[in-house]
Amino acid sequence: MSDNTAHRPPHLPGETGVWVFILGDMLMFAAFFIVFMAYRSEDVALYVNSQRTLNQHFGALNTFLMLTSSWCVAVAVEAGRADHRQRAQAWLVAAMGCALCFVVVKFFEYSEKIAAGFTLTTNDFFMYYFMLTGLHLMHVLLGLGVLCYLWFSLRAAPSADSMRTLESGASFWHMVDILWIVLFALLYLLR
Amino acid sequence: MNTRNELLCIWSAVLFVVVFTIGLWPLAHFLPAHAPTASAEDIAALYQARPWQMRLGLFVMMGCSGLVCAFVAAITVAMKRMENGLGVLTLTQLSAGTCGAVFLIVPCLVWTAAAFRPERSPALTLLLNDLGWIMLFMPFTTFVVQNIAIGLAVLGDRNAVPEMPRWVGFLNLWVAVLFIPGGFLTFFKTGPFAWNGVFVYWIPLVVFLGWYLVMFVLLRQGALKAARAA
Repeated sequence: MSDNTAHRPPHLPGETGVWVFILGDMLMFAAFFIVFMAYRSEDVALYVNSQRTLNQHFGALNTFLMLTSSWCVAVAVEAGRADHRQRAQAWLVAAMGCALCFVVVKFFEYSEKIAAGFTLTTNDFFMYYFMLTGLHLMHVLLGLGVLCYLWFSLRAAPSADSMRTLESGASFWHMVDILWIVLFALLYLLR
Repeated sequence: MNTRNELLCIWSAVLFVVVFTIGLWPLAHFLPAHAPTASAEDIAALYQARPWQMRLGLFVMMGCSGLVCAFVAAITVAMKRMENGLGVLTLTQLSAGTCGAVFLIVPCLVWTAAAFRPERSPALTLLLNDLGWIMLFMPFTTFVVQNIAIGLAVLGDRNAVPEMPRWVGFLNLWVAVLFIPGGFLTFFKTGPFAWNGVFVYWIPLVVFLGWYLVMFVLLRQGALKAARAA
């Protein structure tokens, strides 16, 4: 490895301020996860039994959709960097498509649960299941709004700010993705 | 622009936070919150034990809540500078913030009614107690809208020298998100989403008072900066 290359300062994607929101949001979810684990440890049997009723196929599908949407957003950012704005917009649309599918799957999953008699107040596990996935769903919808905003912002000619905006929005979306991965592990997989 | 009056309104924040905490905590003993699962007899007993202290605590909490209006005005003046005039976000904040003050005052009045005749039927005292807690934490909507308006205005500030640093915009958006779980108390009587739970009581309370103090520092800096520039 050559030592002649100039040292590049570390690059924080997006603008600094957006990380206040992203880390703050992650902190809030961390609090949710900790509370969940604390209550779970008091009645593991209840949680494991209730978990058996979850539809793992829907869970896995949603995980796949989240990961794919994140990948699409990453490709969109790369395209934006190379000033291929229309390509970036196309990849954003693909990400939005995945997100919409996620919402639809959630709709079917919730319907299935409610039809089987499992609701918000059935027991503690289902309280966390509906509350945590519901809050995450709200973030997915918010993220869809952010992705829409990014699509519109790509119509204008690139400016000093536009790449930062793209990275800021993308970082938010990746956070939404990471939150789902943790949720999926805690709710669907943890035994 | 009257900087002295502006600073007066900004400093009212400190007075509000201190006095409200005194009223809530050592006086009225509303920290921590009553349990939603408490029986009517238990709640009635709380109001019957030293009613004068409860009444004083509520009086103090209600009395300092008017200062919220002064603080909202201080934020409005700062947002006017961000939007270069009475923009729609500034007006949204003014309107939502004012509504927020109402939902600090009215619950105190409802609890005061309970403390006014503590010997009444416990079921009625329970009803008033429920009403007070629900009115305090459930109207998250105006607080959320207020914070989103501030956040958007800070992020949309296109002046050469922005009124506030951009991270404050994101902070206000985060605060808005943290207030939302307050609404979930309607579904639960126990657990972290009940009105005495961590996500409805502790986090919104700490966040609200913390946000107040952070905004106090920033508003003061902004007012002094504007005075120097004038």
